[in-house]
Amino acid sequence: MSILIILLSLAAGAYVLAVLERWAVHGHLSLTGPAWAALALLGRESVLARTPDRLFFEAGPVLLLVAGLLAVAVIPLAPGLIITDLATGALFLNAALAYVLVALIMAGWGPNGAYGMIAGWRFLGQFIAYAMLIVMPITAVAMRAESLSTTAIVTSQAQLWNVVYQPIGFALFVVAAMGLAWLPPLDLPDAPGDLAGGVEAEYTGVRLAVLRLARMVIILALAGATVTFYLGGWLGPWLPPAAWSAIKILFVAAAMLSVGRYMPRIREARYLALSWKLGISLALANIFVVGVIALVVPI
Amino acid sequence: MSVQVIFLIFFGGAAVWFGVVVFRTHSMVRSALALLFSQTAIGAMFLVMQAEFLGVLQIMMMATEMSVMAIFMVMFMMDPGGMGAMDMTHQKRLSLRAGGIGLLAALAAVWIPDWGLVATSVPGAQQQAEDLGRELLGRSMFIFQSAGLTILTAMVAATMVAIVPNEEQRK
Repeated sequence: MSILIILLSLAAGAYVLAVLERWAVHGHLSLTGPAWAALALLGRESVLARTPDRLFFEAGPVLLLVAGLLAVAVIPLAPGLIITDLATGALFLNAALAYVLVALIMAGWGPNGAYGMIAGWRFLGQFIAYAMLIVMPITAVAMRAESLSTTAIVTSQAQLWNVVYQPIGFALFVVAAMGLAWLPPLDLPDAPGDLAGGVEAEYTGVRLAVLRLARMVIILALAGATVTFYLGGWLGPWLPPAAWSAIKILFVAAAMLSVGRYMPRIREARYLALSWKLGISLALANIFVVGVIALVVPI
Repeated sequence: MSVQVIFLIFFGGAAVWFGVVVFRTHSMVRSALALLFSQTAIGAMFLVMQAEFLGVLQIMMMATEMSVMAIFMVMFMMDPGGMGAMDMTHQKRLSLRAGGIGLLAALAAVWIPDWGLVATSVPGAQQQAEDLGRELLGRSMFIFQSAGLTILTAMVAATMVAIVPNEEQRK
């Protein structure tokens, strides 16, 4: 039952997110826009490039969607409303999202086109930048909760949300999550303008629709992860828990989407340098500070 | 036959099959990703055997490791897409013998010693993670740290050996 509820809310969330993205990118709010765009994509011809790696070309978008769905499986929307409450949930989320990288490399390599291939490998570089900054803040979150289970992480924030307890970790995680979901200004693998759509360049029709849907699911999963790890998950006064989850997730997703409107795209080398020199030092400091606080004043 | 055994055989078969695909394809990217999915299948075998932490860790680590390996293979091989159908293997007889001896050694290590009763019951996933943490930060710490350092050194050395220096660097 909870699987059905979560999948339905995921579908609704993906639609709302598509409306929000259109609003954030093009500046006009249209409630029916994504539906028409999806219909148009389904009706369009699916062009196949010459001498493609057919297996990768077909499997890339599907693997991306599967990775997103698996990540959603460990995000709790309310007490008991979770697909599977694994004891290693926070690690599982990482494991599922690691396949975003594999899927993008496959989708980039598959169509035998220069833009797609460069974009796919570019995402590998981007991965080297964001990977540690996803894992290390989660380590600090798990240290406080003394568990990797996502529901235990939410209940550990009953006294104080992690966004206040470990603000450095929160900032690092949100930026890294935007890198993982290749949201502007970290949209290096599709980079409209300099890579002509990158990974999406050779995809049309149904396959492009799957690719876009998968990306919406990934953004939602990451917004859900941010809410679970830092913003107290379903916790909140007056409203029912599921409503709080929905409000927070959509708010975080909208915030992530709107940053790109105000910032230029960052260069790959600069992103890597910043992530490693500044980001990892801050993440280590965050782990140390959280460790000291957890030992001295247990809240 | 229990469901657990059926799934174990399925994922074991998948791991072996993807392992075979690694050598049957000409494309370096396909080869690297086949190895990835072989390792993912082994991760799934861990999950079937109720070693949750190990399984999830295996599935996570391999995705990134094999992707990084794929880009190195593309960089260093002459025909990364396999479109020229070049043969990328060498020293076949030596490799076959080494592989055969390795297989026999592994089978001997499984069957010959008397392992006794390994565990009476499977501890909970939470308990497993805790036990593993104590093991890794306790008596096994030195082994793991030195293994990590050895792997890093080997990677740097292998890359340096593989790079062909250009004219200016040679002088």
